[in-house]
Amino acid sequence: MNETHKVIAIEVLRYRPELDEKPFFQTYQVPFTEEMSVLQGLLYIKDELDGTLSFRWSCRMAICGSCGAMIDGVPMLGCHTFLRDYYPNKVRVEPLAHFPIERDLVVGADDFIGKLERIKPYIVPKEPRTLAEGEYLQTPAQLERILQFSSCINCMLCYAACPQYGLDPAFIGPGVLALLHRYNADSRDAARADRMQLVNAEEGVWSCTAVGYCSEVCPKGVDPANAVNQNKTASAADYFLHWLPKGSGK
Amino acid sequence: MDVFKADVAIVGAGGAGLRAAIAVAEADPSLTVALISKVYPMRSHTVAAEGGSAGVVQANDSLQHHFDDTVTGGDWLCEQDTVDYFVAHCAEEMVQLEHWGCPWSRKDDGHVDIRAFGGMKIERTWFAADKTGFHMLHTLFQTSIKYPSIKRFDEHFCCDLIVDDGRCHGVLAIEIGTGEFRLIQAKAVIIATGGAGRVFRQNTNGGIVTGDGMALAYRYGVPLRDMEFIQYHPTCLPGSGLLITEACRGEGGIMVNKDGHRYLQDYGLGPADPWPRKKAMELGPRDRLCQAFWHEEQNGRTIATAQGQAVHLDLRHLGKEKLHQRLPQICEMAEAFLGVDPVYAPIPVRPAVHYTMGGILVDTKTASPLPGLYAAGECSSIGIHGANRLGSNSLAELCVFGKVAGSEAARFARSIAAANSTTIERQADAARQRAMNVVSRSKGSERISVLRNEMALSMERGCGIYRTGRDMQDTCDKIDELKLRYRDVEVGDKSSVWNTEWLLAIELGYLLDVAQAIVYSALNRKESRGAHQRLDGFDQRDDANYLKHSLAHYVDAGPPRIDYGPVAITRSQPGTRAYGAAGEQAERDRKRAGAAHE
Amino acid sequence: MSARRPYIRSMDGWWRRDPFFIRYMIREATALLVVAYAAVLLLGAIRLAQGESAYERWLAALRSPWSLAFHLVLFAGLVYHTWSWFQIVPKTMPSISVGGKKLQPAVITGTGLVAAAFVSLVLLLLLLFIGS
Repeated sequence: MNETHKVIAIEVLRYRPELDEKPFFQTYQVPFTEEMSVLQGLLYIKDELDGTLSFRWSCRMAICGSCGAMIDGVPMLGCHTFLRDYYPNKVRVEPLAHFPIERDLVVGADDFIGKLERIKPYIVPKEPRTLAEGEYLQTPAQLERILQFSSCINCMLCYAACPQYGLDPAFIGPGVLALLHRYNADSRDAARADRMQLVNAEEGVWSCTAVGYCSEVCPKGVDPANAVNQNKTASAADYFLHWLPKGSGK
Repeated sequence: MDVFKADVAIVGAGGAGLRAAIAVAEADPSLTVALISKVYPMRSHTVAAEGGSAGVVQANDSLQHHFDDTVTGGDWLCEQDTVDYFVAHCAEEMVQLEHWGCPWSRKDDGHVDIRAFGGMKIERTWFAADKTGFHMLHTLFQTSIKYPSIKRFDEHFCCDLIVDDGRCHGVLAIEIGTGEFRLIQAKAVIIATGGAGRVFRQNTNGGIVTGDGMALAYRYGVPLRDMEFIQYHPTCLPGSGLLITEACRGEGGIMVNKDGHRYLQDYGLGPADPWPRKKAMELGPRDRLCQAFWHEEQNGRTIATAQGQAVHLDLRHLGKEKLHQRLPQICEMAEAFLGVDPVYAPIPVRPAVHYTMGGILVDTKTASPLPGLYAAGECSSIGIHGANRLGSNSLAELCVFGKVAGSEAARFARSIAAANSTTIERQADAARQRAMNVVSRSKGSERISVLRNEMALSMERGCGIYRTGRDMQDTCDKIDELKLRYRDVEVGDKSSVWNTEWLLAIELGYLLDVAQAIVYSALNRKESRGAHQRLDGFDQRDDANYLKHSLAHYVDAGPPRIDYGPVAITRSQPGTRAYGAAGEQAERDRKRAGAAHE
Repeated sequence: MSARRPYIRSMDGWWRRDPFFIRYMIREATALLVVAYAAVLLLGAIRLAQGESAYERWLAALRSPWSLAFHLVLFAGLVYHTWSWFQIVPKTMPSISVGGKKLQPAVITGTGLVAAAFVSLVLLLLLLFIGS
């Protein structure tokens, strides 16, 4: 590494609940090379400049979903965003919007996890099968219907992009609704009716006003807005079918 | 101190920990499971596994083939009875995951598709595009939510085991969000904390892979077995070490040096054509491919990049459609991190540390020598990987032995009464004091990052792809020195909420203990086997003296004591490990000998 | 007692924070212009029911410079609304496969916009034809 390092200013929103009344910006001068991500910039700060800066991270390859932050105001993964793209300007890093700040770049994720747990994110089998009977058959086309929505890494960027979630935290929100749709759309699953109760509820899909930014910021191409809005159609259909006389077909 | 009483406590909520938790819940829903993880479960490093998971399904495949590939691949340092159990249960676990919703890639007829992998005679790698670990982990995590008896302690950092009267009674954890201590009392404890790749500099591992569970068990007298066997993965991004899956080669990718030559044919893996061909060339085992790279680099035939020397992984001939369908994440990573589109250009790759073959000594049923303590997954050494793990055996291991650990721990928990709470709480108070000492020390003189970097650099030098006694001795000395300096490590952050500097300091302690076990085990093995290759006169396998497992025993304030344990050999006697044409010839000879024998 | 003290940031002025949100707010606001135009047409229908002179007065009012200016604003708003509406359409429908390939969102948006332009043009020509 004999190239002369460029130096970029990284401005980080700090908040230490035991010391600070409210969040404030702190700027660090970070030498960087072409391939360095914003996460690597933060790691440099942690190791060399200020050990008290706290943030989550792990895999460095955009799959564990830990390092989401607002980077120059946009929800991004720190490991997948590069300092070279901001230089010679400074880059501003803040905790994901719409979540409470626990400390520095760490936000509270309990609400998101709680919602994920509520939607029955597992297969309730249509026809139970023993292991000896082997796998359920699923055609590539049936797989295609769920694959995109099962690619969610739970990074919560879409929540930071959703003003409706910011305004009303009761809203189940894009990522979890996409996951709900993934299970409803699975050819092996039979719990759709149960999950539709959540879809139809006040905090379900009707809290979405089709801003569409969630899909824009998704690093994995999940397109949660699509899942949510497909379920508006499903929810409306459910509502009208509900008026039809029951049992007439049985 | 807050106390939670569980029947079974599981440390680590990656693939093995989650599979174990589900196994306990299914074995007996009345047992309370405490699932403790320093990150949310879906952040665990299982998430980064790409290529796939082994399980015999094809008509022309057999358990015997899987057994042979595994034992040969492991250079006969495998526990053969355990391998037998393993290969017999892989496919069943893969089907189980399918029933739980794992989106395995499919064939047109709706059956699960499989692909070829390195060192494997026949295709048996189940895959979900090139995000297999991700899909397995999320499937297991989401399925675990179904079981009310599993009580999760997310973002709880395990800082000690509670051991009393020769038995493990639980763990002490720090709730990261508050800095408060929580005693999790349990009749049985399963460690499932993964590997220790962060001991090295260039590695494929996430920041959380710091050997926590290995170090904890080790400190309580459980030996770490076969720690010298560190797997380098041949295709990683230079600099960052990020993983480019073996599935690239399974799908037909080739590797060339700076002259465009498929150099693997010069290292006993050829001939180059026809391609693709199982157990040859790019589909040779990982240790051999890394060794070939080392020689190419020594001979100046590698390619210089800004991040160091590399060779080219060329996927262009696979075509855009196949690449985007079967290897989407690789395409995305190459583009993001290197600005390379694999459809049009080769990817520069080099070896980086990937996996710890060794780990916490456990028997065939995942029980460690310390009663009440079990281990599963990468942190454990159950003996299926030997001196070199085959790609796609580790994801299968998580499930097969995660389940065994769960059932065994459940059985153990039901068989005994809870221990005396007063003694346990006294133990926990002492452990709490030790953890607090790390942060409350008034003024340290050593910086965490300095010690960590010196360790990683030295480990890379001493325990690389090829090793010499001198380099290993230097690394031993270095780690000894770092362990002394660690006593003066400084934690500037004195707060309690999300004090990650404190946790980094504790993790550094874990890393140093594991590093010491690795390098001393390596120095003492005076032969070359699998991933442990020496250049200083011990360049051959020495079955007479070293067909045995290394055992590193923790010694307080000193280097570990290394001794050895026997290897279970049931029906495969050590032979020549040959691949490519030589391997095919050896196979024919074996068959002929077998026929004559009958 | 826990030292946790989560800090909740205000949502005040949220829609000014990102150009994406501003465009979204304009899309939502231009829906009001759609309503306004519907009101103008509804008024025309009422005037028609009231008799010829009432209808003629309504037509005359439409030709006033103020009305023309108002319609220009309505037109710009409707064009923006149509454009932004078709942008979001791909997100509201199940994925469509043509010949085994997933239809790209840009294709769906493009098709919608072309269809809207075409229908408008046909209507315009039809009106010009009837008018002559």
